[in-house]
Amino acid sequence: MLSIAAIVFWSTFPLETYLPAAIVTARQVDHLFRFMAATGSALWIFVAGYLVYFAIAFRVKPDDPPDAIGLQVHDNHKLEFWWTVIPTLFVVLLSIVSVRIWYEVMLEPQNGLVVEAIGHQFYFSFRYPQINGEVTDEMHLPVNVPVTLNLTAADVIHGFWVPAMRLKNDTVPGLVTTIKFTPRLVGRYHIICTQFCGVLHSEMDKQYLVIDQKPVFDRWFKSWQEKNAHVSNALPAAGGGAIALQGGNAPAGKALFAQKCTACHKLAPFNQTLVGPGLANVLHDPAHPNLVNGQPATPQNVAVILQNGYTGSMGTMPNATANGLSSQDIANLVAFLASLK
Amino acid sequence: MAVAALPAGGIADHIHPEPQGFVRRYVFSLDHKIIGIQYIVTAFVFFMLSGLLAEAIRTQLYNANGGFIAPDTYNEVYSVHGSAMVWLVIIPLLTGGFGNLVFPLQIGARDVAFPWLNMLSFWIFPVSGLMLFSSFLLGAPTAGWMEYPPVSLQGAAGTSMWCAAIFLVGVSSTMTGINFVVTILKMRAPGMTFTRMPLFVWGQFATAPLLMIATTALAAALAALFIERQFGVPFYDPTKGGSPVMWQHMFWFYSHPAVYIMILPGFGIISEVLPTFARKPVFGYKLIAFSSMAIALAGFMVWAHHMFTSGLAPFLQLPFMIITFVIGVPTGIKIFSWTATLFGGKIHYTTAMLFAIGFIGLFTIGGITGVWLAAIPFDLHVHGTYFVVGHLHYVLVGGSLMAVFSGMYYWFPKMSGRLLNEKLGHLHFWLFFVGFNGTFIPMHWLGVLGMPREVATYDPQFEFWNRFETISSYLMAISILIFFVNVIWSIRNGKRSGPNPWGARTLEWQIPSPPNYYNFKHIPTVYGLPYDFSQPLPYKGLDDELNDTPPVMAGAH
Repeated sequence: MLSIAAIVFWSTFPLETYLPAAIVTARQVDHLFRFMAATGSALWIFVAGYLVYFAIAFRVKPDDPPDAIGLQVHDNHKLEFWWTVIPTLFVVLLSIVSVRIWYEVMLEPQNGLVVEAIGHQFYFSFRYPQINGEVTDEMHLPVNVPVTLNLTAADVIHGFWVPAMRLKNDTVPGLVTTIKFTPRLVGRYHIICTQFCGVLHSEMDKQYLVIDQKPVFDRWFKSWQEKNAHVSNALPAAGGGAIALQGGNAPAGKALFAQKCTACHKLAPFNQTLVGPGLANVLHDPAHPNLVNGQPATPQNVAVILQNGYTGSMGTMPNATANGLSSQDIANLVAFLASLK
Repeated sequence: MAVAALPAGGIADHIHPEPQGFVRRYVFSLDHKIIGIQYIVTAFVFFMLSGLLAEAIRTQLYNANGGFIAPDTYNEVYSVHGSAMVWLVIIPLLTGGFGNLVFPLQIGARDVAFPWLNMLSFWIFPVSGLMLFSSFLLGAPTAGWMEYPPVSLQGAAGTSMWCAAIFLVGVSSTMTGINFVVTILKMRAPGMTFTRMPLFVWGQFATAPLLMIATTALAAALAALFIERQFGVPFYDPTKGGSPVMWQHMFWFYSHPAVYIMILPGFGIISEVLPTFARKPVFGYKLIAFSSMAIALAGFMVWAHHMFTSGLAPFLQLPFMIITFVIGVPTGIKIFSWTATLFGGKIHYTTAMLFAIGFIGLFTIGGITGVWLAAIPFDLHVHGTYFVVGHLHYVLVGGSLMAVFSGMYYWFPKMSGRLLNEKLGHLHFWLFFVGFNGTFIPMHWLGVLGMPREVATYDPQFEFWNRFETISSYLMAISILIFFVNVIWSIRNGKRSGPNPWGARTLEWQIPSPPNYYNFKHIPTVYGLPYDFSQPLPYKGLDDELNDTPPVMAGAH
């Protein structure tokens, strides 16, 4: 009886009234939670009910002889068979339910608005295509527009969690992880760090994800575009001045790439790391607009890295002297990378 | 001739004289019973210390803005609390402690296979414990018991001390594991086939390979972390080409099996206590024994379910989720079997039995929430929150620690020859039961509603339940205090127990309490399972154990 009551209670439990469901898949996760809470608590009440009943019913009575013994049953194969088979069937059911919801969470629409969140000690910063530099206070998203959120970290591992999204992922230095979702409910939601990241980890719960109507979002977006208009996206070049990239020869760059670069880089998507990231379409990759030390992968910035080498969240790369690259070689390599689409 | 040098009973009656002198008898002892008691006493000292740390954590969280201790001190406190409770309390108590004390007696052996190795295992343990606690002097580790790099690379000097301490305690565990496997395989009394072994021995037999195999992965990971911190060789630092996620794989490849190291011996204790006090054979002996082995084996294949948010390839995560669900089946079988053991019994409500029944109820909660956590979409919500903290404590406190207390009340007479006070025991149980649930149940909904773990301050909307938890945790502390008072008082003043106060049927209860140095005058022969209360005892060769016949000693050689 109590088990059935638990099933009814949990299968109708309105988690959304306590914690809003900010994205589409949050409601799927709530369904899964209700399913597990209902079956789990019913099972527990069933077991605990029998436990308490047996514990009371079969206690030693005052008039029992001191050497009274219980029922000498060793096993009951029928019973054991069923309590192996029924949990197994339940495991199959639970697997099916979980995998289905997992698909919905993982296979959110592709090609959404690309945003990047970077974990720092002790805040998150955000990058948007067409906004220079970083957005440092809140993360704004338009409602009902699919989002691809790339996560990485500048120093140590952080956890990016929005409870209202029922979704989190770690931001790992040297690694880009992606979550995809579609906001569905306008509001302000806490962003909380869930991996211990240093002494002020507890303070890393003060930022908000703000989901706005599209016009409001556009106004916010524009204000940051203007605010950051003068922030440069370029990496500082050694010795100052831009590197000349005219006269780059793509076929020569291709030969050079095979000779000098393939030990560490694959010609594959950006997140297929060998030692460094994959460079298949690094200059044309809409999914990873800002991932070279948080700067956009422009030809000039790539040339600067080839010239100066690199130390940062993606690892370490030697500079041009160590790699034996002339400035013509750099121009050739950039021309080759630019030719890949 | 060598054969002629043996006493009449052959190798089975080959008894060496007990060493004289306090140091060889009680300090650097080779006797598995003394070593077991040394483990238990040392582990309870560390339990008291890390229990005080736990109360410091709860006191800090009484207010949403903290204020009891500074955030960096708080981080040190919870990190050492977690590390000490896992490596210095629960694992040593259940393997080195009760394992050493009980299972050689239960298989009718005179000692473990390698007594010197056993002594070495024990003495490494207090040394590494002191090292772990002394890391406070250097600035203790702050990144929790998991110490994920790169943040642990930034930790104070005590973090390296932590690596060395855990490495050493791991060496000790590995040696214990080897010792136990060999002992169970080679030193069972005649007639004690695998299907006649008591279930506590099965629990240890499932655990020991985990200690042997899994701990080596942790040792490698710790050595690498130590070398990186002290000498700058980059294993984990991504800016120098290392991989922080590699640590997580190595750590959880150990630490998931470690969860079973911390629970399988507990299952064994419960499977002894329940039939004894229900006066019934344990229900489904074979299924309980095999399910332990199944859990131990599957325990090696699920480590990445701790890493669903770490950036693994999505399709790699699915098998880990499903295998974790599957582990629920053998665990469920055990729970059903224990419940069925009570059916039709004549249940005696000793404190040991109360803790055993409490264990079934509370561990089941931890098991069920464990299955929930394995479901990836739900885990992506509650990973790294107080839900996980609640789940973990239901398994390790409601499970393992309840089993430890049950074992303490059950085997205390075997250690000391005296009973623990049952009135204080009942008080201990009920206070602990209420305090425990009050402390850890609210954590589940706090986690679901958005409270992250490892925080020194939190959102004020959660203050009410945190205060409730803190007050409940003081109740738990009082109950533990009562337990310690009970133990210390009973060692001198407890009722004398005699050899077998519980009417139990396993071998350790057929010899005096505390047992003689050599355990058995003659190695008994075993004819059946120990749980048939309607039958005579299935042992032969025990007639002299309880009278004054002196044992036949081996000659000097």
